[in-house]
Amino acid sequence: MNLSHFAALSLFALFVSVVFGLITKNTPKEQFKYGVFVFFSFVCIASIVGWLMYFFPW
Amino acid sequence: MLNENSPNVPLETEPAVRELTRLNMGVTVAICASCFVIPGLGHILMGRWIRGILLAVAISLMFLTGLSMQGELYSGDLNQSYLRLFGFFADAGIGLMYWLAEHARLGAGNMSARTYDYGTAYLWVCGLLNYLTALDAFDIARGRKP
Repeated sequence: MNLSHFAALSLFALFVSVVFGLITKNTPKEQFKYGVFVFFSFVCIASIVGWLMYFFPW
Repeated sequence: MLNENSPNVPLETEPAVRELTRLNMGVTVAICASCFVIPGLGHILMGRWIRGILLAVAISLMFLTGLSMQGELYSGDLNQSYLRLFGFFADAGIGLMYWLAEHARLGAGNMSARTYDYGTAYLWVCGLLNYLTALDAFDIARGRKP
């Protein structure tokens, strides 16, 4: 499998957010909301850090 | 006094939280051990079907994706650098699938592959997530969470 960095990151975030949502919250609604929050947190923070690193050549 | 629109009145559509039940320690240990046979099996055995199946699918797919990205499974050889033993600890968390993959020589890893680092991280993290799943099953079995 030859995924791009962003696809690999998104897939990673998806798997981890599913597990975190399921094991940290008790009701399906809470699990879904927390899973979505974790997923977008992973993707957004990684994208921001990635762009910040772009400006530092060392 | 609460009326129907009060935020403190539970919605009828929201499922009721399960009652806390406490299993004995022998059964609890067996349930935790089952998580290392198939991820999520402990939850399924306790009647949490949907949660167990979703955990099984997510963790197993993560493991298979890591292997297909040519990630490396670390061995538990004590003669290697002790830092690699941390990787072994993480990888071994997936349980039976780790030993099957090692036996089939699937986790050799290909450092020249573009996805090697991601694949290896996938394999570590799915093992670590499975440890968390086993701890979650322990908490449910001991009546600490619904």
